[in-house]
Amino acid sequence: MLEQLINAAINGILLGGVLALLAFGLNLIFGVVKIIHMAYGQFVMLGFYLIYVLTVQLHVPIILSSLITICAMAVLGILTQLLVIEPLLNAPRLNQLLALAGLIIVFENLAMVIWGADYRGIPLSLPILKFGNVYIRCSYLIAFLGALVTLSLLYLFLHKTYVGLAIRATAQDVEIAKIMGVNSRRIYFVTLAAGGALTGIVAAFFAPIYTVHPHFGSSFTIIAFIIVVLGGMGNLLGGFISAFIVGIVTSVAAVLTTVEVADIITLLIFVLVMLVRPQGLLGVRGAS
Amino acid sequence: MKLSSSIGKKALALLILICLIMFPAISPSPYVTHIITLIFIWSYISTVWAYMGRFGLVSLGHGAFLGIGAYVTALLFNFFNLSPWIGMLIGASAAALLAAVLGYACFRFGVIGDYFALVTLAVGELTALSIIALRDITGGSLGLTIRNLGNAPLYLQFSNKVYFYYLSLLFLLFALYLWVRIDKSKMQKALKAIGEDEVAASCVGINIIKYKMAITVTSAFLTGIGGVLYAQYITYLNPHTLSGVGVSLAICFKAILGGMFNLWGPTIGTAMIVSLEEYIRVSYGTKFIGISEVAYGIALISLIIFLPKGLYGTLKETKIFRTKGGAYGDDKREAVIL
Amino acid sequence: MLRVEKINASYGEFQALHEVSLEVKSRETAIVVGPNGAGKTTLLRVISGLLKPTSGVIYFDGHRIDDKEPHEIVELGIALVPEGGRLFPHLTVYDNLKIGSFTKRARGRFKKALEEIFELFPILKERRNQLAGSLSGGERQMLAIARSLMSQPKLVMLDELSLGLAPKIVSRVFEFIKEIKSQGYSILMVEQNAKKALELADHAYLLESGRLEFQGGKEDFLKNPYIKKAYLGI
Repeated sequence: MLEQLINAAINGILLGGVLALLAFGLNLIFGVVKIIHMAYGQFVMLGFYLIYVLTVQLHVPIILSSLITICAMAVLGILTQLLVIEPLLNAPRLNQLLALAGLIIVFENLAMVIWGADYRGIPLSLPILKFGNVYIRCSYLIAFLGALVTLSLLYLFLHKTYVGLAIRATAQDVEIAKIMGVNSRRIYFVTLAAGGALTGIVAAFFAPIYTVHPHFGSSFTIIAFIIVVLGGMGNLLGGFISAFIVGIVTSVAAVLTTVEVADIITLLIFVLVMLVRPQGLLGVRGAS
Repeated sequence: MKLSSSIGKKALALLILICLIMFPAISPSPYVTHIITLIFIWSYISTVWAYMGRFGLVSLGHGAFLGIGAYVTALLFNFFNLSPWIGMLIGASAAALLAAVLGYACFRFGVIGDYFALVTLAVGELTALSIIALRDITGGSLGLTIRNLGNAPLYLQFSNKVYFYYLSLLFLLFALYLWVRIDKSKMQKALKAIGEDEVAASCVGINIIKYKMAITVTSAFLTGIGGVLYAQYITYLNPHTLSGVGVSLAICFKAILGGMFNLWGPTIGTAMIVSLEEYIRVSYGTKFIGISEVAYGIALISLIIFLPKGLYGTLKETKIFRTKGGAYGDDKREAVIL
Repeated sequence: MLRVEKINASYGEFQALHEVSLEVKSRETAIVVGPNGAGKTTLLRVISGLLKPTSGVIYFDGHRIDDKEPHEIVELGIALVPEGGRLFPHLTVYDNLKIGSFTKRARGRFKKALEEIFELFPILKERRNQLAGSLSGGERQMLAIARSLMSQPKLVMLDELSLGLAPKIVSRVFEFIKEIKSQGYSILMVEQNAKKALELADHAYLLESGRLEFQGGKEDFLKNPYIKKAYLGI
């Protein structure tokens, strides 16, 4: 049993890395554009399907498929900003939420129409490493390391480049950013493109691990929300840390009970934390 | 065309009411009556949702109340033969209890705006997952069928579905009447003040938590009843149609696309959306599974972008209907604070 | 250099500016004084592009700017030091200065500009890696001014510099403005503290309730009995 728990904890950490990417994207979009991307998980789903089509149906090597998907998802992010978010930037919060929720309906059913309800997977078998009694899947390890690399690059991007600085400034005070010469409209597009690209990256890392179906996105959206809120909405560091916590908790809970009950427990913890400390375990309201 | 005279308005309302009452007799087909019954039921539900919504308490989890109300009542009937007429009071109370606990915790700890919305979203989903997990009792994802008694008015089952038409209409009228009463009452003024500036309101001595709790519990209770109504009409319950994110958001769509701040808004929104759904399903639905939903989703998004005040709200602005003493919250954007 | 002609501006139903016109000539310092709520901040917001006027025209350096976006206006050479400084609280002093040179024009000169700023404001060099939110009031104001200079502006607009600062600090800050003035920048300053502002002014405007009530040179202002009583406490 203990071994199982240790295995679960380790897997939780490894998955946490990729979840951290998801949380980063959501936090970035929320922090900069001040909007909750309700359909973020569905982006991942679409990215997944795209990789599937490229790899399995068009026989494109997986690395290339991933790169193409990342670019395509970035474009999807830009389109979402242009067609759905921008018209609603000054609308009441509820309208923004519902419009993006409408995207959930559109994307899930689009997937249903094009690919049907069957589960689609990418037949990629990677070895399993054994350390004593601990089993680590290569796919998990690659995902974890890849996520860390991506996050490091993102950090450098945000802190060492002018555009990254502009993004951070826009998140803190968009008006003043404008009078510094920042084209806020363009920054919003960059943010959504980055957020979209991140879903492509997540899809690429998850490709060898999961199978996709049209309702695949919902569990990701929910878990991404939980992570983001626990870490403090808009708080990038908070999201990073809570991604690992949530990863471990869900993995371990799934071993101790069932996956179903684990989901319920996670949601329950989420509600409790929200009530007791709405700014998140690590958050300061409005920090970025 | 100005319809501003009070008597004129009352006469028109009476005329419409008479038409509605007579409609089933002259209805072109049972299908149309069915659709209108659904419109009544969902209008009722979105109207009572809007009780909270228009005061800044945006709930994205009303599916929880629908589901609890419906399932508790149905289970009490299926297993203990308790008439849904009584069962609905228990079921709705259970929903109200959840709302009370949740509401108190939120209001006490200052969870408002976005955070409140997300908490309700989580609770709605939690309810759905719990119903599914308790599949031994509830039937899980496969759903639960209400034991068929044929025609049993005392058990809220009618073989002639027309009774549901009138029952739902009655409930809808009640919900609208209650709205008007709330609007005129002290509670409305208090909630409006809270909606605009909580801190100032509390300084004036308005017991914020009390009023928020009152409206939340009321909304939840009535929603629970709505769940029972729907379940008894269809005689089938499913966690995905009666709880969870999907139905919760659907309620929101209906309320705001008609115009959340107006008495008739949710009803008009429901009528619009249900008609839209049916139209799209009939024209596209047979071709590909899902295409109708895609069109539906795109239509919803477009409506949100182009009709930010909802259909009714927008029509009011264009002065087609001029009302005396504007309905509450004419051009106020809802104050959802983060 | 800057010509504001008959600007009207509103916040929703409330009209904040009524037919306001003013001019700032090259290398000149113009001040706008007036009471709280007169519309002085609104005026600067309109010039910088944050608020679109309902009517009227604004010219800068020959270009028409009332229809341009804020980032385009900065690019043309107008910098605004907003009321209270409005620094980016979670960015360091260094980053605040760096974002100041975001425009294409200023970016190339960033390193040099930074050196010059650090010479002018040595305290900022000391605190370069501190978060802007942790600075004292006077330091924040100086950082705000420094940040605006990083964009290599031709016209610097200052909104209520003295607000919330102790008199000694206010004097220090105004010394810097004098220094900047001597370096050849055009300045448009909005101030409640008319007395202090007039010391630097070449030209002055009085704004009350969104309307221009008086304008003239420094001497005209100092001689006007109403202004003397209401704003100079004489």
